[in-house]
Amino acid sequence: MLLLVLALAAGPEMNSCVTCHASQQDQRLARPAALFTQPDVHRERGFACVDCHGGDPSAPDKTRAHDPALLFKGKPTGQAVVTTCARCHSDAELMRSYAPKQRVDQATEYAASIHGKRLATGDPRVATCVSCHGAHGVRLASDAKSPVFPTNVATTCGSCHADPERMGGYKLADGSPLPTSQLSDYRRSVHFAAMTKGNDLSAPTCNDCHGNHGAAPPGVGAIANVCGTCHAVFAQKFETSVHRQIFDKGCVECHGNHAVLKPSDAMLSANGHGICVPCHSGEDQSDHGNVAAEQMRGDIEGLKVRLDGAGALLARIKNAGIEVSDEELALREAGSKLTLARTEVHTFEPPRVAAVIADANGVVTHIDDAGQRGLAELRYRRRGLSMSLGAILLVVVALALKVRQIDRQRS
Amino acid sequence: MPTTLGDLPYAPQTGGPAFDRRRFLDALLTVGFVSTAAAMAYPVARFLIPPRTGDPETASAVAARAADLKPNSGKIFKFGNKPGIVVRTAEGDLRAFSAVCSHLDCTVQFKADTAQLWCACHNGTYDLGGNVVSGPPPRGLEAFVVNVRGEGADAEIVVSRS
Amino acid sequence: MTPLQQTVAWLDERLDLTEVRHFISEKGVPVHAQKIWYYLGGMTLFLFCVQVCTGILLLLYYRPSAAEAYESVQFIVTKVEFGWLIRNIHSWSANLLIALAFAHFFSVFLLKSYRKPRELTWLSGVLLLFLMLGFGFSGYLLPWNELSFFATKVGTGIAGAVPFAGHFLLRLLRGGDDVTGATLSRFYGLHVAILPAVATALVAAHLLLVQRQGMSVPLDLEIRIRQGEGVPQMRFFPDYILRDVLAWYVALALLAALALFYPWELGNKADPFAAVPPGIRPEWYFLAMFHTLKLLPSHIAGFEGEQVGVLAFGAAAALLVFVPFLDRHALRGRRSPAFTVAGVLGLVYLVTLTIVGHYAK
Repeated sequence: MLLLVLALAAGPEMNSCVTCHASQQDQRLARPAALFTQPDVHRERGFACVDCHGGDPSAPDKTRAHDPALLFKGKPTGQAVVTTCARCHSDAELMRSYAPKQRVDQATEYAASIHGKRLATGDPRVATCVSCHGAHGVRLASDAKSPVFPTNVATTCGSCHADPERMGGYKLADGSPLPTSQLSDYRRSVHFAAMTKGNDLSAPTCNDCHGNHGAAPPGVGAIANVCGTCHAVFAQKFETSVHRQIFDKGCVECHGNHAVLKPSDAMLSANGHGICVPCHSGEDQSDHGNVAAEQMRGDIEGLKVRLDGAGALLARIKNAGIEVSDEELALREAGSKLTLARTEVHTFEPPRVAAVIADANGVVTHIDDAGQRGLAELRYRRRGLSMSLGAILLVVVALALKVRQIDRQRS
Repeated sequence: MPTTLGDLPYAPQTGGPAFDRRRFLDALLTVGFVSTAAAMAYPVARFLIPPRTGDPETASAVAARAADLKPNSGKIFKFGNKPGIVVRTAEGDLRAFSAVCSHLDCTVQFKADTAQLWCACHNGTYDLGGNVVSGPPPRGLEAFVVNVRGEGADAEIVVSRS
Repeated sequence: MTPLQQTVAWLDERLDLTEVRHFISEKGVPVHAQKIWYYLGGMTLFLFCVQVCTGILLLLYYRPSAAEAYESVQFIVTKVEFGWLIRNIHSWSANLLIALAFAHFFSVFLLKSYRKPRELTWLSGVLLLFLMLGFGFSGYLLPWNELSFFATKVGTGIAGAVPFAGHFLLRLLRGGDDVTGATLSRFYGLHVAILPAVATALVAAHLLLVQRQGMSVPLDLEIRIRQGEGVPQMRFFPDYILRDVLAWYVALALLAALALFYPWELGNKADPFAAVPPGIRPEWYFLAMFHTLKLLPSHIAGFEGEQVGVLAFGAAAALLVFVPFLDRHALRGRRSPAFTVAGVLGLVYLVTLTIVGHYAK
């Protein structure tokens, strides 16, 4: 504590606030002072307690230090927090002298968010600026220890949204209670895996789909747009499909919202665990969806089987000593077409998928032909070798006969 | 070794089938030796002649003829068993990268209108430094070393691993 | 005169071919029940020549670096005309050569041909056998595929089990602490320069000794010769030579059949960071030794089991070298059943352990 105080002998403005608060027994009063001495983006740029809280920093006693006439605010809560932060952060000219590229519309965005709207109706429980950014010990969003650094965002949102007690009483539009499973769902998703295991910081987390300050779930009809900001090709294909008008929840209908898992070809089915099941019947041959799913799935599985076969054939003849690098290249191309076919599935039109598959099949046929030629070459080699073996055996027999002949001569 | 097999001190033959059999056997042996010798010499001779592609193309490959690659254009070439892409920028610089997209292994292509490398599968885009510009690729493209070998019309662009 | 006779006469005027003529007309080979074993040495020599020729051919395209070795072998097998054939022959001939060398070794041992005056022939022969094993071990790594990489790792690891000098030996063999490109360079130098030079000298010595001393005969026959009996002789030219060539062609046929029915594969390029494939083992000619070491308990009389095993094999090898001097009975030209039994036991042991090692998990 003493060191803390000494360390803060930076300026006379900070002295009395920190001196007094740091020596308080009550942690609610002491902690902010301690935190403010940690790396803090405001303190490092010359801001002090008084700039947000008001009062007189040089006064040694509480009454004068906390003088309301000197605009002492105490601890801002609710809308007061937003106002306090926005005083600087919505001031374009001020922000330009500190961080020219930083946006200055956060408060406006916040007002459009669920949090902002509920705050306006008087709900004291919603998140405000300090809930996510902290108040003392604020770090830049690009600082890995910041609660709003990409890998930390989900945990930060989850500190409220995954807590059933905190979220008690909030309801969805249809009256059911607001779920608190989003964080655990998200942690099962490919997006989370891409960020944590794949070290891809551009992988989506809560704010990428819900917005930062204007946080709200994407509305009906908007979901495909949101997913489409990254998955552009899929969104384009989906846009032209019959499901575009039918699905309430766009991409989420099939892929989920938070627990977005790695998709598999097995999803494309109206039977068993296929995701077409809720709407389409696997038994019904007059069900267009069922027929389409069967066709597309059949085409894709067929291509996979052919790709595996071609790959195995190439591996076999490569191991036996035939040059196959051109064919390996072609196999890679055919594999890319499988990827394209899976993209095309999102048009939900079998002929379009079939066209891509037909393309790929053409390539695989060439590969198979080359494989057969390779096998023929191997057979040709064996034939040549067996003919040589025949000639050698001929010599062996002839020599044996010659030896016998000479022996008979001798005797 | 005696000069010919016929010079050996055999007991005189009475002629007839026994005599023919000896000649036949000698002829058979000669044919046998010659054919097996040829069956060994021929492959050895062919082996010694270098194949057309003289270099096992592991560390480097000829990507294209220098004259064929115009400014602001790119060409896919085979590097081992994976595709590579060589690009001549608008200023005339040569760059070469692995053409395997780091997202799902599709083959990228050069787009002249944006002077970027683009993957048709899911819209991944890379700049001419191999860095990801937009889209799903998690990593950039591996860069290769480019050299020009030879002069004039026959000059070749040779790409090697760095 | 035929052209051949004219050439011979021309050479005779300059080199005096009297001795050669004498050799051709007079040299004889003893005829008896065990003479079939005589051919093994010639077959081994023939295969060694096949190895030298195919090896030199491969040398023209092979590249001894970790980055290029596998690709160069792939190049030979896929792009070079008949490269697949030369490579196949080289790989199979190596195995056949070692098999025949062992057969030759055992036949000589069991017939006690090492007895006086042929001690030096025996010495050069045993050293040649060890050299052939060295050729096999060093050559096996050169394609730089998974199997050969890990087999070398295991094999050189065993060298590390030698007490006191183990670590030094391991580093000497591997060119470092691990099997790397340095090991490949070292093995390549061994395989194409050092071992061939030593082998050529030893083969020359071995052949010269055999020519000078003539073929040995079984002990019984020798005893009868000492008592004044004569032994029928076969003319070296053309009788024995024809049979020798027949034996070579049989070896060649075996080689062609092996290459035809069990063509050698490329395998996958070695990845030093991959896990050791389960059940990795060396080639069959090291299998008996390898499996013995696996079967030994971890500790014997206070020493590490593997160390004891390696020492035992080293001792056995040393003993083999000095067998002519150890076999007192053979030294005096008497029957030596103890050594016969030892030889048979050794053969049975090697064969059994090889088979067991092959089928063990």
